Amino acid sequence: MEKFVLILKKLDRRWIFLLIFLACIIPFWIPTLFQQKFSTSKETQRVYDIINSLDEGDPVFLDWAFDPTLQAELLPMVEQTIKQCFDKKLRVFIYYPYLTGIGLGENLLVNIKKEEKYKNMESGVDYIHLGYLPIGIDMMIFSMYSDFKSTFGKEGRIFKGIKTFADIKYMMSYAGSAHPESYLLLQRRFGFRMGAGVTAVIGPDFVPYLQTGQLDGMLFGLKGAAEYENLRINQGADKIKNSRANAGMASLTLSHLVMFLFIGLGNFVYFYERKYKKSN
Amino acid sequence: MDIINTVIDSTILNHTFQIWMSVLFTLMMLSFLFRDNPLYKLGENTFLGISLGYGWVQLWNITVVPFLVRPIKDAYLDFQPYDLTFIFWLLMGCTMFFRFSRNKAWVANYYFAFVFAYAAGYEIPVLVQALFIQGSNMMKPLFEQPSFFEISKWFVIIFGTFTALMYFFFSKPHKGLLGKTAKIGILILMINFGASFGATVMGRIALFIGRAQVLATNYEASIVLVILISIFLFVYFKFFHKEAQLDDEMMH
Repeated sequence: MEKFVLILKKLDRRWIFLLIFLACIIPFWIPTLFQQKFSTSKETQRVYDIINSLDEGDPVFLDWAFDPTLQAELLPMVEQTIKQCFDKKLRVFIYYPYLTGIGLGENLLVNIKKEEKYKNMESGVDYIHLGYLPIGIDMMIFSMYSDFKSTFGKEGRIFKGIKTFADIKYMMSYAGSAHPESYLLLQRRFGFRMGAGVTAVIGPDFVPYLQTGQLDGMLFGLKGAAEYENLRINQGADKIKNSRANAGMASLTLSHLVMFLFIGLGNFVYFYERKYKKSN
Repeated sequence: MDIINTVIDSTILNHTFQIWMSVLFTLMMLSFLFRDNPLYKLGENTFLGISLGYGWVQLWNITVVPFLVRPIKDAYLDFQPYDLTFIFWLLMGCTMFFRFSRNKAWVANYYFAFVFAYAAGYEIPVLVQALFIQGSNMMKPLFEQPSFFEISKWFVIIFGTFTALMYFFFSKPHKGLLGKTAKIGILILMINFGASFGATVMGRIALFIGRAQVLATNYEASIVLVILISIFLFVYFKFFHKEAQLDDEMMH
């Protein structure tokens, strides 16, 4: 036993890196071996149900507050939201509070339009990139409640019937930071409904907002994105084209198992040594 | 210009080239896990350079040109009294450069005074209001939905906050009732840190999964580049690398 403990104590950290690397990459090569089913959280279900309950032509505002560094978790969420909005024939307004997100957003829409189902979606009619504004969210909200269209200086049929932000039926904020709180601060004053799609790191900070009802629903990390994909797949969406997050779930589970193993081994070594020292 | 466009089209904008670059830079960054090396440094600096360059161009085109240069140009052609505001805020913004001077740094304070006054005037009332909404809404379930889970949540919030605060109360020694309360407080804090740590690990792994997906999908490029990078690292550490006084290996 002592020899085993000694080997574990001297184990180079790079072996752990390698194991985590293999745990993440192997499920992509042998996906059939790692198929799994998981339940849908009520927060994800609520986002899906709210968007599903909107009527044709209703405007939805998406706040794209992330750049490529967070795309692994957040991009599948936005992709599914936009596709769901297109399926429901909703009007999609995409705003970028960070400059570095614009390219990513435009690229996603180009890729979505490559699918047969969405090839007729037109910029300025079904969706619009509102771009970036060099002002804070607070100033932007005040401006949007004064005149929605002129805030962004854009044109298009999509703006028909929308005078202020009050005409927007639902908004979602996607971020890997405390950014959605900027909207929540003014939510009481203006009374708009909103949900959020956040990374797993920042997710726990937003749980209180769900409990208070300030957020209608929330997509939480890669799992939230995978749940959302499954909800859409269950409603008839193509499984192959809508499995970006699901593909990563097996890697996430396997890498967590590796981590559990090493946390367990670390604790075992610690308690074994303590016991051994006490007995001597 | 046609030659330049052709070169750009067949290199930077070429799909195969983009895939190979994506895999190469991912592996270059991951090579740090083995040891700090020139490939990692090259990847890191390339990323920073491209991010800054891209950011500057976007900032110039999307912010400076439409919100400053164009209005000032228009004002030059057809001056209106309200155009003075552009000039005023341009000058106010430029006062930031006085920070470079020790004697004249105070000039920038006027600009900061505007910023701080706005932030305090706007943020404080709104934040306090939001805090009250959150507090009052959080306690609602006790009266509205008297289920066991909702009531227990209410108690956890109140007593959890109280005991955690008691842990940081150092005016009295942590003995007796205060000591026991502080112990429960540290337990509550540990559960919170554990949840945050777990979520952070999940987030970090999720970020890596994005890269792993790129490597797994383009496995030909991955295999070739892994072999080439491994050979480079072997040659570099065997023949060129000089051990520093306090290397990461020695620290380990």
